[in-house]
Amino acid sequence: MTTTACGCDEIKTLTRRGVLGRGLAAGAVGALAGLAGEGLSTRLAFASEGYTGDTLVVLSLRGGFDGLSAIAPIGDPDYYRARPTIALPKSQVIGGDAMFGLHPALAPLLPMWKNGNLAAVHAVGQPNPTRSHFAAMGEMERAAAGTSVRTGWLDRMLGLTGATGPLAGVSLGAAMPSRLLAGPATDVSMATVDGFTMAGDSAKRPMAAALRKMYATAPELLAGPALAADSALTATASLRASAYTPANGAAYPKTALGAALRDVARLIKADAGLAAAAVDCGDWDMHEGLGTAVQGQRMYDNLYETATALAAFAADLGPSGMAGVTLVTVSEFGRRVAENASRGVDHGHGNAMLVMGGGVRGGAVYADWPGLSAGALVDGDLAATTDYRAVIGEILQKRCGFGSLAEVFPGVVPASLGLAAAR
Amino acid sequence: MQTTQPTRRTLLGGAVAVAATATAGLALDAALAVPAAAAPVAASDLVSADPIAHLLRRATYGPTPAALAEAAKLGVAGWLDRQLNPSAIADAQVDALLTRLPLANAGIAAVRAKLPKNSYDGFGQLGRATIARAIWSNRQLFETTAAFWANHLHIAAPSSGIWDSRPDYDATVIRKFAFGRFADMLKASARHPAMLTYLDNRHSTKALPNENYARELMELHTVGMIYSEADVKAAARLLTGLTVGSTGLYSYSAAKHATGAVSILGFTHANATAEGGEAAALAFLDHLATHPATAERIATKLCVRFVADEAPATLVARLAQVYLDNGTAIAPVLRALFTSPEFAASAGRKVRTPYEDLVATVRALGLGPETSGVAALDALYNSLVNAGNAPFRWAPPNGYPDVAAAWASPSAFLMRCNSHLNLATGWYPKQLTRPADMLKALVPVLPATYGALVDALALRLVGAKLPAEHVAAVLSVAGKLPTSPVTAGTALTGNVPYLIALVLDSPSFQLR
Repeated sequence: MTTTACGCDEIKTLTRRGVLGRGLAAGAVGALAGLAGEGLSTRLAFASEGYTGDTLVVLSLRGGFDGLSAIAPIGDPDYYRARPTIALPKSQVIGGDAMFGLHPALAPLLPMWKNGNLAAVHAVGQPNPTRSHFAAMGEMERAAAGTSVRTGWLDRMLGLTGATGPLAGVSLGAAMPSRLLAGPATDVSMATVDGFTMAGDSAKRPMAAALRKMYATAPELLAGPALAADSALTATASLRASAYTPANGAAYPKTALGAALRDVARLIKADAGLAAAAVDCGDWDMHEGLGTAVQGQRMYDNLYETATALAAFAADLGPSGMAGVTLVTVSEFGRRVAENASRGVDHGHGNAMLVMGGGVRGGAVYADWPGLSAGALVDGDLAATTDYRAVIGEILQKRCGFGSLAEVFPGVVPASLGLAAAR
Repeated sequence: MQTTQPTRRTLLGGAVAVAATATAGLALDAALAVPAAAAPVAASDLVSADPIAHLLRRATYGPTPAALAEAAKLGVAGWLDRQLNPSAIADAQVDALLTRLPLANAGIAAVRAKLPKNSYDGFGQLGRATIARAIWSNRQLFETTAAFWANHLHIAAPSSGIWDSRPDYDATVIRKFAFGRFADMLKASARHPAMLTYLDNRHSTKALPNENYARELMELHTVGMIYSEADVKAAARLLTGLTVGSTGLYSYSAAKHATGAVSILGFTHANATAEGGEAAALAFLDHLATHPATAERIATKLCVRFVADEAPATLVARLAQVYLDNGTAIAPVLRALFTSPEFAASAGRKVRTPYEDLVATVRALGLGPETSGVAALDALYNSLVNAGNAPFRWAPPNGYPDVAAAWASPSAFLMRCNSHLNLATGWYPKQLTRPADMLKALVPVLPATYGALVDALALRLVGAKLPAEHVAAVLSVAGKLPTSPVTAGTALTGNVPYLIALVLDSPSFQLR
């Protein structure tokens, strides 16, 4: 797990010290929680349905996010040996500590990092590594290795929260349903809130009512989406009635992710009863041209767009809104430690996660760092010393009111990284 | 089956919980009004059991009166014979329309000569041409089969670096071999610049092999998840040298090829010389194409496409054998599939994807191509972009999912309904050619009652009457009962587009 070659014990101490330094700041944020929602004009009526935990936002970075670029192990000399042309030079790091450096494209999030509302966890991964995108994504969403469970883990989480409103679980940004939410709990997929409408429906032509009648006796697979659409149409009607203006001058980028997070913030601020949200962000499969850390290179540009959208989301919600929100990033796998001939990296294993929210003890990288020496790698990959489910498990317990994780993540022991303050 | 959406019970349970909190203004009362005892209608009861109608719901993009009449005359075997020989089927309307999309299947040099580098026009024209063929081509089995192969050997469009080669890939790999031998299609794909770019093999070198293509070639294109990481590494080495030259055309570079003996999934080769690397790679591709695991995978995927989301094991086994016995030829496999008892027993077991729903709607309504330009095709394409199901736009290399659960979404449901009304009314797109009198075109003789009118519309648009409770639901939009008399006039004219849209919105039309 740890090696002496890279001085990992010292690094762990460093990161722990960083964490302790944040305790006070996290407490201050917690005190703001009582103000959540104050001054919001567009309110929906689903707020009090029994769930009082954080809204959990899961951002899936599709294609295999390169955590070794985003949160670069600059204190590990093997990193520079493995990536002679695309490693992040120490001189370009904008934050972090002696071991881990933040990529300059994360600059929009640096204030969050410094305020302690953004943390990273490194060397995380799935228990059964596979380098197949599709097998890895499927298992990441199921999150129940070694069992016959077929639902998505966010659906299981949702089912246990007691949140049953039509907007308790939402995937935003695509019409297709999220497999994270696959299962019996109520959920809705929306490409956009504003585009979620029924053409021609009026008092004179009650199309929605006619469809409600028709799908009452439809085959179950067809009835589910139709009736969920009907409930969600009603629940979001007042939101669409007025144009949405983000608060605090938040400037969402004109990207799919920006639009999706803007809608998530809109639902949160409206007290729509949102307990869990799923959002996707793609194009991380950088076998080729990942590049150096400058504008115009793939990793830089993709990371910058992502960071801009996340920063806008946090600004829009403000401290009071963020006090009740935790956002985590997940990706099916990390990328190979050594670069290939195309200034890219092939599929790998261990990776970094970002965790953002008012209750996060941020400004630190949490890692049980295994090192990148030849003996520490797993078939050329960063070893995963922390199960990504254990990280989310800690959030579920600290921020979402969970006790046992047995039903959400069978067989997983929650981490005790201390990355979130108890709500 | 795993569903991704709430069951009715959980939905109603949720509604009860909300109502119990006495939160004012929630219009879920109507959902509560659904009688708890209302039993779902079985999917198999919603579609016509007629074998010809069943065949056309699956093997085409949706029955039309003309297609049904022709197939009834030819019979199943005769219809398959005719459709499996597409060059003998006249397609003048589509040929004329495609002259407006000259880059849709242009060669690499031609696209390079006409477009600035990295232009999206080639992708755009290809997507629109694909929709046009799906709707209006008389070679329907060819179009549904070509779509299957394009999704199997998927190359996303748009995606970077293939602005010049993606149309050519469609013409010279997918469409050329759609009714040919899979081994030939696979080898053509492996030597096509679009594939070599999309999955990065063009930049793979003997010093630093890029594993992307090698992995997906085995996992997605052929044998499935039976390979090892050692197989990926060996295959990546064997495939080095298959690359793209400066003119954008395929080339084999001996200088990039990694020599050395390989052993991959039962394939062994000395791979002794750099000059012989291409031949060694092609021998590997032939091995993969004829591997029993590939036969089973392709048979399974064809069953999921044409028979049922859960492929019948007996049919998979037979089709895999037909595939191997015929040297990977696809036509005998299709014949065996469509004449099998498993296929015959599968009525009502497939749900239309958003793409299939839109195309089938245009076909059912009898809408024709616009008289000039491509504005309507632009509109249809863009509505499919919003639905997440435009041709070739799925980003990862595994192709669109082909099971109902993957598309069972509230947003997608609304989009279907909105398209039905837009097309039934002619609101959007406006440019498609429409019958002068839509009602008369669909129902030539006006029935006496509204119930009979909905029956006639459903028979014409769906191929079967709707269940009585669905007829009543359709008529509720017009405030009518099944027994209400029909009289010609503005009230009827105003009601008809909504009745048509609701028939197309019905569970029955979602099935194929």
